[in-house]
Amino acid sequence: MSDGATPAVEGLFREAEDGARLCGSRCAHCGTPAFPKSALCHSADCDDSQMQDAEFGPNGTVWSYSVQHYPPPPPAIVPDPYKPYALGVVDLEDGLRVVGRLTSTDPAQIGAGSAVRLVVGEIGIDTEGKARSSWIFEPA
Amino acid sequence: MRDVAVLGVGMHAFGKFPEKSVTELCRTAVTAALADAGISWREVEAVAAASSRFSGGKGWGLNGNDVVEDMGLTGIPVYNMSAGCAAGGNAFNIGYSLVAGGLYDVVLVVGGEKMPKGFIQTSGVEEDTDPEYLRQRCVGMPGPAFWALLCRQRMAELGTTEEQLAKVAVKAHQVAVHNEYARFRKEFTLEMILGSNMVSDPLRLFEICPVSDGAAAAIICSAEKARQLTQKPVWVAGSAVATMRADDGLPRGLAGVIPDGRTHHSEAAIAVSKALAQAGASPQDLDLTELQDNTVYYELAFPEDWGLCEVGEAESLLEAGETLPTGKMPINPSGGFLCFGEATTAMGVFQVCELTWQLRGEAGARQVPNAKLGLGQTLGLGGNGTAVVLKR
Repeated sequence: MSDGATPAVEGLFREAEDGARLCGSRCAHCGTPAFPKSALCHSADCDDSQMQDAEFGPNGTVWSYSVQHYPPPPPAIVPDPYKPYALGVVDLEDGLRVVGRLTSTDPAQIGAGSAVRLVVGEIGIDTEGKARSSWIFEPA
Repeated sequence: MRDVAVLGVGMHAFGKFPEKSVTELCRTAVTAALADAGISWREVEAVAAASSRFSGGKGWGLNGNDVVEDMGLTGIPVYNMSAGCAAGGNAFNIGYSLVAGGLYDVVLVVGGEKMPKGFIQTSGVEEDTDPEYLRQRCVGMPGPAFWALLCRQRMAELGTTEEQLAKVAVKAHQVAVHNEYARFRKEFTLEMILGSNMVSDPLRLFEICPVSDGAAAAIICSAEKARQLTQKPVWVAGSAVATMRADDGLPRGLAGVIPDGRTHHSEAAIAVSKALAQAGASPQDLDLTELQDNTVYYELAFPEDWGLCEVGEAESLLEAGETLPTGKMPINPSGGFLCFGEATTAMGVFQVCELTWQLRGEAGARQVPNAKLGLGQTLGLGGNGTAVVLKR
């Protein structure tokens, strides 16, 4: 849970009973997903864009991961004091490939093919000193 | 379309030059290119310049105007091209198109950059509608982390080892020793590479290109002009730019679609295949390739993406010495971004310089024997890709 931290950016995700959801859209004509919401379908092959609001998550599989050993500069929001965090590319069951933090840095839990679940959690302290939350993935 | 030649090239060495302005770096490169071409500034009919985000250009990316104001106000047209790290390659394509299309006979292509320290800050825009801003704020994924994700996936799929990654860096420094323009000109052992600090796991400090200051310039001209001025022209066999497709699977922005095929940099692959098609050449015809090695990963992945070798073959070619200048698939005989550091918007022109020297047989101890056909490739933020094929 996000423990009182406020979203890094409003409107991109919401908490649900079984985890979290990403708030995006999907083309009703060709099925192409988009996150964040997109006014138009981005598929190279779709000539009849019909974007409708859609939610994604919570279940997915890790495509790849990395552990970030040095703090990137703002606008990145990082733990204070800094502690290396893992981030990953996750293929959600509903067809979206999404980037996000991971709660674990253990390769055995987050290696390619690992099952993960979308949740909301704190990602660090921003330049205003506020704790911020985002969508993150935890081992399922 | 008319045939286009590279008449002259020039560079300022890469490194950190706190005492010099970007204008001074460009002046050195342009003056060298003019001398190499055997023409004067007053014979240049137009400028295609890479727009810098980090230095000069009056804060508007007007870097070509800086060059004209420095070299001489002759009233010529200036085209300032912006394409992130692909800007130099983009400017070359515009210069090429202007000459090929018959608008001008002699065009200067130039890129110069002075980079701030540390991670490249990819977004100055703090808006919730900017994908790069969202990616950094909500996830925190600097360039090295993006490359690390791709690299880690390769390791999982193809079994690439950390030692093999380090060997790419060892090989890069082995050739850069012979390049007077390179920033790092000493040999690095496998132990030194593997002993450098982990930045974004699995990538270490010496496996990632740093940022540099540098500049590069090329004078390109019509075939008619080239025949008047040189006995050894280098020809532009192909020049292409592209942007990314939505279905390439690469984790850009916050999200995309899960691809049917292999995840890859579509902007690079499209540009390379277009440039090769223009040249009437296959990937196997290439004698050398200068590719954008922001990290060691790309030197393994790109040759496979473009059909220079089979998927999964890059490591064995590296370990057999086949990517050295004397091998059968020479990659980055200049030493590449790893040994130059990235002066972001200069890099496409830097590659044209190296390819030209190689095709003329002027590359000294890093010469690819009997090089006749060479490929250069860049890519940049926003899904910009460029490719150039030069031949003699």
